[in-house]
Amino acid sequence: MVTGRQFIRLSPFARMVAIIGMLLLCLPLASVYAAEDGKPLIYDEAGLLDTEQEAKLTEMARTYGAERETDIIIYTSLNESGADVMKMTEDFYDNKAPGFDKPHGNAVILTMDMKFREVYLAGFYKGEEYLDDGRLDRIRNRITSDLSAGDYYAAFSEYIVTAHRYMGYKPGVDPDNILFKWWFQVGAAGVVALLIVWRMVANSGGKVTVHSRTYENVGSSGVIGHRDQYIRTTVTKQHIPKPSSGGGGGGGGGGRSSGGHSHSGSRGSF
Amino acid sequence: MARMSVIAYKCPNCGGEMAFDSASGMLLCQSCGRKDEIESYSGSNSHSVFNGDEAHEYHCTSCGAVLITEPETVATSCSFCGSNVVLGDRLAGELSPDIVIPFAISKEEAQKAFKKWCKNGLLTPPGFMTADRIQSITGMYVPFWLYDLHSSIQVQAHGTKVRTYRSGDYMYTETQHYDVYRDIVLDYVKVPVDASEKMNDELMDKLEPFPYDRLKEFKAPYLSGYVAEKYNYDDSVLYPRAKHKIGDYIESYIKSTMQAYHVLTYQNKNIRTSALKADYALLPVWVVHYDYNKQRYTFAMNGQTGKVVGKPPLSKGKIFGWFAGIFLAGFAAMKAIQLAMGGGIW
Repeated sequence: MVTGRQFIRLSPFARMVAIIGMLLLCLPLASVYAAEDGKPLIYDEAGLLDTEQEAKLTEMARTYGAERETDIIIYTSLNESGADVMKMTEDFYDNKAPGFDKPHGNAVILTMDMKFREVYLAGFYKGEEYLDDGRLDRIRNRITSDLSAGDYYAAFSEYIVTAHRYMGYKPGVDPDNILFKWWFQVGAAGVVALLIVWRMVANSGGKVTVHSRTYENVGSSGVIGHRDQYIRTTVTKQHIPKPSSGGGGGGGGGGRSSGGHSHSGSRGSF
Repeated sequence: MARMSVIAYKCPNCGGEMAFDSASGMLLCQSCGRKDEIESYSGSNSHSVFNGDEAHEYHCTSCGAVLITEPETVATSCSFCGSNVVLGDRLAGELSPDIVIPFAISKEEAQKAFKKWCKNGLLTPPGFMTADRIQSITGMYVPFWLYDLHSSIQVQAHGTKVRTYRSGDYMYTETQHYDVYRDIVLDYVKVPVDASEKMNDELMDKLEPFPYDRLKEFKAPYLSGYVAEKYNYDDSVLYPRAKHKIGDYIESYIKSTMQAYHVLTYQNKNIRTSALKADYALLPVWVVHYDYNKQRYTFAMNGQTGKVVGKPPLSKGKIFGWFAGIFLAGFAAMKAIQLAMGGGIW
């Protein structure tokens, strides 16, 4: 029988192996729990996806959503009653009561109104905090062209991935800041390292330490005459383009559902 | 006659050999330790008559052997008995140096400083860093011309000041145009140019600056115990190099007088430089020959400041190591910035 005392007597290496082994055991368990959670995340009432695509998107939404503790939901509708897409989204949230943490909890919803060809994105609770109107606008801009082209699967995957990525940044931070791009970080670090090492190589044989003032006789040097004659002023003007929202216009913003759940939002046509 | 021009400094007390001592700045007897001021030394090279004949023989005053010298050698040691000798006629007349900066660093100190420099080499291969292959270390007075240059500069330029501001939906760019004129006088003193054929110009330029407050009126005893050479090129031949050296200094001075303008276009630039004088100076340099990996490397050390110059061998592995290290540190720093800005880690 293995007692606690015997375990402590293991060599540091063996202990490390044991700890890593336990961690490895825990990891798949965590994802199994998430995957076993059977609540639906894709409500494809308009039939835009085939079964295989729906399964794949469900798996994606579940994995990514679990990391952000938020349900990432897609809701498509033929909207035969001709409802407003924002109202549809709110009613969907009130009726289905989704949420990662609890019913009516953290969620982000993409609603497709196939009748008026409108799309609406809404974030509730943690979804509202991390995916404000601006970020939802960005997501909508990224997927609108795919939606217009009818490539719904590509658009929905992009929506899931981007929502997940944006939720990794604190609220109020520009998620598309170039400083956050890995290729920029690698490039900047590479350029800096190259410059420093190049300088080290160049200076390995000693560097010039005299400068323009070393041999200058300050007492007898100077400006003995100068003129700064103003001639004219020229002015050019340039129109500042207004920040445009992509897709088929829209914008929209958030609101509050009849059930009293506040949310962020972005709407547009495709 | 030729025999007369060879000067060796003998101690008035014991007859021993005397050489310049970098620690005290005096002529020191190696045997009895007697020290003589050099500043008050009566010029012993004035009696020699320069005849320009490079073919004649010099004989060592101690052993009488023929001194093996190159045509530009001014001071050396006898290859038979090791006595320090100064060839007086090569320091006379036209060839008489005006000023000298004596050595402040002794041979032992130079050796130590060089080893330290090798050890501090960040990119040199490990075998080089131990610095145990010093082939030779020679204290040499290198001939330089020190130019006093006077420049008169007139510049005519078109300058603009640019201001941008926003009003309504428009961005306005307002450009003010100016007619700019500057009349400048610049004096550069003691701009050094090395006058020896065998010394690498780039190497000698990097040795600067020499401490000019240590300049002394030239006296031959300063050379005793060292190797010295006379100039290969006279001041008029090297004048263009001196002018070239201050070219960038003048440009940067002109620019510094017009900093108020954002964009400058020179329309007319008139620079007239003339040499007020050129002093013939001997400046102290330790020349180190070093063998590494069957190759010879030459380094030079400023005999006053101890600054070492010369291309050392470089280790590819170390260069890559530094690159990798800085790259990873930079990448980590970018990640830290991302985290601090609230962008998560990935």
